Amino acid sequence: MSAIPVTPVTQEWTLPSRGRVGMLSLIIGECGIFTIFVVAYIYYIGKSLSGPTPQQVLDIPLFNTICLLSSSVTIWLAERQIERGKIKAFAALWALTMGLGIEFIIGTALEWHKLIYLDGLTVRTNLFGTTFYALVGLHATHVVIGLIGLGLILLFTLTGHVSEQHTERIQVFALYWHFVDAVWVVVFTVVYIVGR
Amino acid sequence: MADQTLPIGGSLDITPERSERQTLLEWLQAWVVTVDHKRLGILYVVYSIFFLLVAGAEALCIRIQLMIPNNHFVSPETYNELFTMHGTTMVFLVGMPILFGFGNYLVPLMIGARDMAFPRLNAFSFWLTAFGGLLLYYSFIGGFGLYGMGAAPDVGWFAYAPLTTKPFSVGHATDYWALALIVSGFGTLGTAINIIATTLSMRCKGMTLLRMPLFVWLMLVVSALTLITITPLTAAQVMLLIDRYLGGHFFDAQAGGSAIIWIHFFWIFGHPEVYVLVLPVFGVASEIIPVFSRKAIFGYPAMVAASAGIAFVSLGVWAHHMFTVGMTSVGNTFFVLSTMLVGIPTGIKIFNWLATIWGGKVQFRVPMMFCVAFLFQFLIAGLTGIMLSVAPWDWQLHNSYFVIAHFHYVLVGAIIFNIFAAIYYWFPKVTGKMLSETLGKWHFWLFFIGFHMTFDTMHFVGLLGMPRSIYTYEANRGWNHLNMIVSIGAFIQGIAVLVFAFNMMHSLRKGKEAGNDPWDAWTLEWSTPSPPPEYNFATDPEVYSRRPLWDIKHPDDPDWKYE
Amino acid sequence: MAQTETHKSEPVHGDRIHLPAPTHWPIILAFGCTMAAAGLVTSLWVSVFGAVLMLTGCVGWFRQVLPHESHEDVPVVVQTVTITSTRRLVERLKIAPEHRAHLPLETYPVLSGIKGGIAGGIAMIFPALIYGLIVQHSIWYPVNLLGGAGVANWSHVTTAQIASFHWSWLVIAIVIHGVTCLLVGLLYGAMLPMLPRHPVILGGVLGPLLWTGLLHSTMGIINPTLDARIQWGWFVVSQVIFGVVAGLVVAREGKIRTGGRLPFVARMGIEAPGLMESNLEAGPPRAQQPRNEEKH
Repeated sequence: MSAIPVTPVTQEWTLPSRGRVGMLSLIIGECGIFTIFVVAYIYYIGKSLSGPTPQQVLDIPLFNTICLLSSSVTIWLAERQIERGKIKAFAALWALTMGLGIEFIIGTALEWHKLIYLDGLTVRTNLFGTTFYALVGLHATHVVIGLIGLGLILLFTLTGHVSEQHTERIQVFALYWHFVDAVWVVVFTVVYIVGR
Repeated sequence: MADQTLPIGGSLDITPERSERQTLLEWLQAWVVTVDHKRLGILYVVYSIFFLLVAGAEALCIRIQLMIPNNHFVSPETYNELFTMHGTTMVFLVGMPILFGFGNYLVPLMIGARDMAFPRLNAFSFWLTAFGGLLLYYSFIGGFGLYGMGAAPDVGWFAYAPLTTKPFSVGHATDYWALALIVSGFGTLGTAINIIATTLSMRCKGMTLLRMPLFVWLMLVVSALTLITITPLTAAQVMLLIDRYLGGHFFDAQAGGSAIIWIHFFWIFGHPEVYVLVLPVFGVASEIIPVFSRKAIFGYPAMVAASAGIAFVSLGVWAHHMFTVGMTSVGNTFFVLSTMLVGIPTGIKIFNWLATIWGGKVQFRVPMMFCVAFLFQFLIAGLTGIMLSVAPWDWQLHNSYFVIAHFHYVLVGAIIFNIFAAIYYWFPKVTGKMLSETLGKWHFWLFFIGFHMTFDTMHFVGLLGMPRSIYTYEANRGWNHLNMIVSIGAFIQGIAVLVFAFNMMHSLRKGKEAGNDPWDAWTLEWSTPSPPPEYNFATDPEVYSRRPLWDIKHPDDPDWKYE
Repeated sequence: MAQTETHKSEPVHGDRIHLPAPTHWPIILAFGCTMAAAGLVTSLWVSVFGAVLMLTGCVGWFRQVLPHESHEDVPVVVQTVTITSTRRLVERLKIAPEHRAHLPLETYPVLSGIKGGIAGGIAMIFPALIYGLIVQHSIWYPVNLLGGAGVANWSHVTTAQIASFHWSWLVIAIVIHGVTCLLVGLLYGAMLPMLPRHPVILGGVLGPLLWTGLLHSTMGIINPTLDARIQWGWFVVSQVIFGVVAGLVVAREGKIRTGGRLPFVARMGIEAPGLMESNLEAGPPRAQQPRNEEKH
């Protein structure tokens, strides 16, 4: 008669982890912010009244992209190490992840430096400048926040405060890092492929 | 003797005992550092009621200004600030916080949890919201703009470009608007995340998703909707700040930017926002109507599905606020149809509430009176909504008082009425005292009469062509008497709210003792003492049906037999 | 008899319950965030102050939750709470048998309507082609008439042009014909429960008449040039052939049972205590029994 299976009382009562649910909710909310910025970017493609245009000044940051995306793999490997309780391997992979992230930020900084001082593209220059710095800057902000988190966890690991029982917290944090990487795929596609 | 399925451990709430010996400072400090979901819930509600009075006073100023033609009660500049702040305050500092306050207080109690999933985040979210509101109001005195004078935002609560661009909005009024709402928006986001995590991860044993009270379901849906609703606004406001501070061109038509895209972004937030406000009060009605009809809610799964359906459809209707900007006919048709689609799930809900009342032993206590008034008023609000969803009709009446009357019918006739119902219903649980029934009936009838005088009449002023947001009008338009009636109605509502405020303060000191279950209700919060102890439940409860307390009260005829 | 039995509370952690400890870091962090934002509209120093507060707040907060969340122990004071109701009488809603709509107990499946639509669509081609041959001396005439409805330069076309062969119009006509037949078949299948006993009458007479009436009254608005060239007599004939063939195909399909025997609420997937029969098999108290026995 019922559409709902009655849960037998003897069965164990399991609920999803609140950390994961919370982080996934945060990611959904962040998606809302990114969607609006991406829509604005796409809407304003080719609508700038003056130069420079993306074709003239943008180079595809291939090395940066590879670094950031591979950091998603290294953090996943790190998660597996901590699950097994191998703290040293975890610390090494975690540091590698962080290094790749730092490389990405340095790459972005160099790109912006070139755009600003060589090509004279700033937020004020034209619509391309406004939308480009807003979207890529928004993503870079997330990478920086992620790096701070990565750095704190690395610090705790090196001072010996991280053990196997923190696996879940670390995996929840890793979800955020995966999200930052996934968003880069969208930003990269929109800015460097569609927008060029 | 049948077994009772719910281990009820009552206990004395030790906090009030302690408070007797506290100094005022200690008492204050206890509230400031609290991470208890019940205290934070109370803080939310008190904060919102304060701003309800403030924004209500602003509305009364607007009504005094419009009472007679060619009035100069306030200056035109002040008038713009008044309606901007009235709208912004009511939506962001009253509506959302009060409903999230109810959610904060009730969701853990209803699902048998000891606290929210993230108690500290909960406190952080509340204080962000609170400080955001204070920052917004600080603009009245501290908004030293270009001319060195205080200025509140005056661009309308929707802050359309190009009014918000630097040349048209000198000084910092618009920046206050954007910054304050970004700050309180992050608070809202935190609370939404918290409520989702709480409902999904903190339920007591046996509380399956389809056994949760409908209020909890609605809060879950609302929180999910908030995640994808408030964030676009935050994003758009960040763009606005980039324009204003860094010289960007997002909404700068001179440099190729678009003012229309702001309208799109705003209403992508703004329309679902209305549902963020109205869905929790659907939950309130779904809790109160069954209890005072002495029947189980009719069509529980249909109610859940309809709630999710409303949330989903609401994401695709925003441009019905924009029929007059000149979209393509395909665009117009799409938004006409999607808007009409909202009528289906809301219709399901109305019929289910009626079916719940049908055949029940209805008791017209104050909460139920507010709920029944809500049913009628919400129906009318829905009907004018369908009228306005027809694009040609909207072209005629866009930005007229008809539109104002329509959305105030939703915001006051449905939401505020149910908020009052909720306060009358749960006040005994929160404070341990009953609100006075006599004063409550005075409150209800005064508010009901005032509401209909104001907002019924507004429809006619709108049909006669009176536009919204105008400072004053000529005497020969035929609007004089109607505007007078609208204003008188507004003052009657004001008196009703004062009666309500007096009732709260009076009953808090001299009210009748409530006991743990004054309404003979069925959800878990009524199994705790009133007010509940800090830890809610001394032992973790266990439930077997949608009405755990019914099962205990009627061991010979429990609900689980029928699930 | 009122149930006044109450449970002695058995706190899980003995007589104390762990609750998150009150903390002032969230309010400091929130104030810092607000100040940092407020600096944009006041002075840079306010932002600096806000940033310092934020940093302090973050550090303080981290120290609270890392490595372990700080708790306070709240003593439990046992108090009995009586859960009872003075309303002992439970009444079930009574539903008289005449309140139930009389719905067919057996009907044809919706899928059979689609099959009928396909068969009818094939059969319908022949009267259309015969019409073309007899009246216009070209089998391409009806095809082009249908296909031409979707072509832009239709208004300048002559009868001779319509009678000749065009690849594009043929393809368009096939697509239109196929899609329409499927949709009409689906509609037919969905309407079958309303007239389940006589699928041939429904499909062969009622359907074509309704469909022709609808098109006849609206075609002048939808496509005036097409309307001028349609011969409605032939149109009805081909519609009736479509309907009869579809009806015959459906009649050959077996009937299936409807949910008519089930109560309304069950068919709607709604659970309504009082309207539904009780199910004593379900329910958790199976596991409750031992506890019950312990007591007695």
